[in-house]
Amino acid sequence: MFWKSLKATFLRNFISQIRAYPMSFFVGNLLTALYSVLSAWFLYHLLFNGKLDDSFSKLAGTGDYMSYVIIGSAVYALAVRTCLNVSRSLVTELREGTLESLMLTPFSRYGYFTGNMFQQTVTSLCEVLLALLICTPFGFSPEAFQPLQFIIALGASLFAFFGMSMMLGALMLYTRDTYISQNTLFIFMYLVSGVLFPQGYLPDVFVKIGSLIPLGTSLEVIRASILGITNTVFTESIVYLIAIGAVYSTIGFISMRRIEEIALEKIFG
Amino acid sequence: MIQLKNVSKIYTTKTGKNPFKRVKSEKLAVDGLNMQVEKGKIVGLLGVNGAGKTTTIKMISTLLEASSGTITIDDKDVIDNRMDIKRNVNMITGGERMIYWRLTGRENLNYFGQLYGLDLNVLKPRIESLVKLVGLEDSIDIPVERYSKGMKQRLQIARGMINDPDYLLLDEPTLGLDAPIAKDIRAYIRKLADEQNKGILLTSHYIPEVEALCDYIYVLHNGKLLYEGTSKMLATQVFDTKKYIFETSELSETKMKAMYAFSDALGASVCITKEEGLHKVNFESGADCHKELMNYIHQNRFLIHNFRVEEADLEASIIELSRRLS
Repeated sequence: MFWKSLKATFLRNFISQIRAYPMSFFVGNLLTALYSVLSAWFLYHLLFNGKLDDSFSKLAGTGDYMSYVIIGSAVYALAVRTCLNVSRSLVTELREGTLESLMLTPFSRYGYFTGNMFQQTVTSLCEVLLALLICTPFGFSPEAFQPLQFIIALGASLFAFFGMSMMLGALMLYTRDTYISQNTLFIFMYLVSGVLFPQGYLPDVFVKIGSLIPLGTSLEVIRASILGITNTVFTESIVYLIAIGAVYSTIGFISMRRIEEIALEKIFG
Repeated sequence: MIQLKNVSKIYTTKTGKNPFKRVKSEKLAVDGLNMQVEKGKIVGLLGVNGAGKTTTIKMISTLLEASSGTITIDDKDVIDNRMDIKRNVNMITGGERMIYWRLTGRENLNYFGQLYGLDLNVLKPRIESLVKLVGLEDSIDIPVERYSKGMKQRLQIARGMINDPDYLLLDEPTLGLDAPIAKDIRAYIRKLADEQNKGILLTSHYIPEVEALCDYIYVLHNGKLLYEGTSKMLATQVFDTKKYIFETSELSETKMKAMYAFSDALGASVCITKEEGLHKVNFESGADCHKELMNYIHQNRFLIHNFRVEEADLEASIIELSRRLS
């Protein structure tokens, strides 16, 4: 049942996306990544004259600011795209009037959400890779790229993003809102997760809150696998990502089931 | 058998503009309902809007949980055996929702079939036969967003039968369909009950459809069961008189007086009018006095031109019920 639901949902989303995915949306996603990198490039070269003080190297583990920012923007885009689509999958079903027919079936929830996540990951990875290619001339240099470490880091990150999506999805379905909840979270993620600058620059309270969002740790391990940063505790970070993903997934699945019932009651009540 | 025992449903909603001062309110949608649907039978669920029909269907389908009482299907509680029940039951509602507009009809059926865990070797031939049944052969491979309302409804019906359920819950299944297609679907619903032994619960605002299809009827009002029985029983309960109308050759004054006396003796009422050289007799009785009337006609050698018993149909019964309750 798990595999059937996964495969069916993956194919359904893929077909829908191919049939109705607007090219402008695709271009918009690429441009968002490009603008982030361009802003960082202008800041770095025009404002800071290509020089950063030692604190950056100390906190970031690398002196290559542009690669730091480009990876940050790409992984942020990946996190947002996967979280966004997985978390809003059920609220979209509710809006399109298909939630009832879905809930009538004995579908596997794990299969359904994993199918959504898998399809979104494939699409988003293609976009992110293309964005990376476009951003390469601005100073992306993956010279210390370690494929195995990268795959482990990416896998653990996706699992953690999935867990976060489940929690966010439950909140969205409960509030029937996709804009406020996702946009508030995503802006906060952008601020506290070390996308453009190391988290160490932030006040402690933000660092502590930021540690609850897996993107920060995910960025650490992915940057480590691409830029060869050595001051990262790689294994511990991977374990942390898997643990936080498992905790969030469990809470998400449990609350989702209850919230599905509430959502259906709200339709008829 | 689907069995509802003392089932109630209370919706709790929060109202108020201020999100911090929202007032909880409760609405009793279904109140102590007892009913059953046997395999091979078509059961109608009637009532005006807000009577609790849809809530009842959603509770049986596992979409909603009853606030109290028990719902069992083949002796399995619908809450404790949710997954088994879902495999065994499906629901078809009227309208254009419950299907994916960006997918083609075939992709929709394929998707739902897989969510039911059906193997492709079972699913493919089933899709073909359902497509044929609902008459979508020519449009099954185009996206649903290009379908007409009727085509979407037909696809909905196919979706509802994709898991070959033992019990079908039909909420206005022929809504928006052209008459010939609606007729085909009705014939198929009858066939499903008669030949495939499926238990069917039907709600419809199209009363002749319910009358033609249903073996048994439940009428709800404000969530409460108001009447149950066959449509004939319902008419008898709602209308306490039966009308016998016949035309006879001109009656003499004596025969007319005797007729009035006969009706008085039976506690009935009679109205005799003259039309084009014939006498039209309207005989109205609270009890079934068919036999007595026939004997009287025979003994008095009435020359009958036509004779009919006028019974209230289901539509008239429901209209009368609504009138009394409003």
